[in-house]
Amino acid sequence: MTARGPEERERDDVAEAVVEQRSRPSIVWLIPLVAALVGAFVAYRAISSRGPEITITFKTAEGLEAGKTKVKYKDVEVGLVETVELSKDLSGVICHARMSKGAEGWLRAKTLFWVVKPRISGGQVSGLETLLGGAYIGVDPVLEGEKSREFAGLEVAPLVAMTEAGRYFVLRSLRAGALDVGSPVYFQKIAVGRIVSSDLDPDDDFVTTRVFVQAPYDQRVRADSRFWNASGIDMSVSADGLKVDTQSLISILIGGIAFDVPDDSTAEVAAADAVFPLYENHDAAEKRHYTHTVAYELHFNQSVRGLAIGAPVEFRGIPIGQVTDIKLGYEPTAKNVFRITVTVAIEPERFAGQNVNQKTRRDAVDRMVAGGLRAQLKSGNLLTGQLIVGLDFFKDAAPAKIDWSARVPEMPTVKTPIEEITANLTRVVERLSKLPVEQIGADLQGTLRSLRITLERSEDTGPALKATLEQAQRTLASANALIGPDSGVNSELRRALLELSEAARALALAADQIESQPDSLIWGKKGAQ
Amino acid sequence: MTAPTALAAHCASCHDCGLLCRLPAGSHAGAGCARCGAELHTRKPNSLQRTWALVLAAMLCYLPANLFPVMTVVSLGQRQSDTIFSGVVYLLTHGMWPLAVIVFIASICVPVLKIVSLISLLVSVHRGSGWHPVERTRVYRLTEAIGRWSMVDIYVVTILVALVRLGNLATIEAGAGAVFFGSVVVLTMLAAESFDPRLIWDRAGAARA
Repeated sequence: MTARGPEERERDDVAEAVVEQRSRPSIVWLIPLVAALVGAFVAYRAISSRGPEITITFKTAEGLEAGKTKVKYKDVEVGLVETVELSKDLSGVICHARMSKGAEGWLRAKTLFWVVKPRISGGQVSGLETLLGGAYIGVDPVLEGEKSREFAGLEVAPLVAMTEAGRYFVLRSLRAGALDVGSPVYFQKIAVGRIVSSDLDPDDDFVTTRVFVQAPYDQRVRADSRFWNASGIDMSVSADGLKVDTQSLISILIGGIAFDVPDDSTAEVAAADAVFPLYENHDAAEKRHYTHTVAYELHFNQSVRGLAIGAPVEFRGIPIGQVTDIKLGYEPTAKNVFRITVTVAIEPERFAGQNVNQKTRRDAVDRMVAGGLRAQLKSGNLLTGQLIVGLDFFKDAAPAKIDWSARVPEMPTVKTPIEEITANLTRVVERLSKLPVEQIGADLQGTLRSLRITLERSEDTGPALKATLEQAQRTLASANALIGPDSGVNSELRRALLELSEAARALALAADQIESQPDSLIWGKKGAQ
Repeated sequence: MTAPTALAAHCASCHDCGLLCRLPAGSHAGAGCARCGAELHTRKPNSLQRTWALVLAAMLCYLPANLFPVMTVVSLGQRQSDTIFSGVVYLLTHGMWPLAVIVFIASICVPVLKIVSLISLLVSVHRGSGWHPVERTRVYRLTEAIGRWSMVDIYVVTILVALVRLGNLATIEAGAGAVFFGSVVVLTMLAAESFDPRLIWDRAGAARA
């Protein structure tokens, strides 16, 4: 109390100040307000920028990392993988990804997802950036179709983006050849598309190859376009020289498919997913231009050595078809036990145009056969002995008729001219070789020698002439005996000898004349004077 | 018995130069220091209100500071964002547990402890509690002293962002979390600063009296 005494006294002297209680809130409260506002704004932005969550299933999580792997479209980040977990049945992995805002529009049932990894295919190297930056999930957005949040991821990147303009076509062939997915498709040696898939048909042995042709080149695929395997190098040696046919270096390495349109094509543009045959090479594609064929059977009673399946059937040198089958028929009861049946396929479109009905065609063939149309084997190549089937008219051929009721009608045949000539020549040569030409020559020489001796003696020895004549007669007799009566040489010889004997007789008369009238040598025959 | 305080003696020490001045009788609003001219207060003005506001702001910032990444490392095209806690987990899983402990204490424990201790001090002052004033003052001193050390994280981030600029090879970016974390540290420091520990003793004295 004593200590506080003076102060209390001092206070008593002055008026008590009114201390006003400050009820106004301090300006410092702005700080938490601002903090709250900023926090709320940031939270709102974070929440509002969150897009939909999707799940993608993959076979493996190779390259996928939760919280790191991004979903990118055209290298723009559109999402982030949040978790990666195994599926319940352990058959794959389920990847939960948070997409960015605005992704709802293109998350449709057909949207594709795949993991982008470094890959070398179709002559291209892709995904190299992922070597350093790590894999990411690629996406091919689709704007139409049902909305979806669950997707099945692809193992490899799709070769054709959904948005790419163009059309798919289906090719069927017996062999896939050296065709890889991603290999190019060529038109006029320009790469206009790619092979999308190549699968073996489950039902048959055909290989179904799907190709994508980009717009505007897809308009070039007509209903009668021909596709062929343009893989590797197509090399052929012909009368024109060495021919090498390739599409590009890429196609040599990785294969490819080429197509073209027939020059005179009037067919309309092929529909999407149209099915085409895939030919083995360019030549095969050209050859199979004629889709309609008519089969005929040809029966030959001679060797068909040199005739192969695929050999051309020609009419006066112009190919109109080909040999499709050669077989040996065995009929024990028939006259010809063995019969060779050659089946040919004639392509009537080659000469008759596109639209000829069966009746018109058969009538025409009947008329032609009646006029002498026959098939025969001809030599296609003298060096190799290749045979072809030739059709031509033979005026003197035995009459024949086509039996149209047979499953495969039979076209009458004639023998090969070469074969006939050969047979004739053989006969001539055989007979010539039978002639005793040497013996004939020797005999003839002896005969002539003795004839000369006879003539020499006849000059001085008149009486000896008789003996000479007798000798000559003996000689002739022996010659007659030696030389056959059938021979032409013999008859000639005989005629010569007859003339000789005629001459000898005249000589004998002359000798008698000289003997009775020796002066007649100088003065001639008296009778004549 | 109360201690002979400056307040009781109608004196106030200048906040700026520390000179003890005798206050004029009655309202001492507008009173200036005799030496440096700074305004004189017997206690920090609006101390409790300011501290409350700043602590509240710090609490509001603490949430995003821990939810948003503080640092994003872009290395060879690969981005990795880390929040404070994921950074601790990262260090722990990579065997760097001493570092993990330091980061955990400096960046997670300390801000929380600061906020908790400040709130408890404020509440005790409001309630006029006379409970262990010496210990409470010690808590306050500690809070004030260690507050700045939470900035280590922010310094590391800023130094790294400045140093690691190697283009595609490696780049480090500061995240939104760093801003909020820095705000938490600064706000708690300011809150500690604006709290007047003499209030503990005023109330303790009043309670005792």
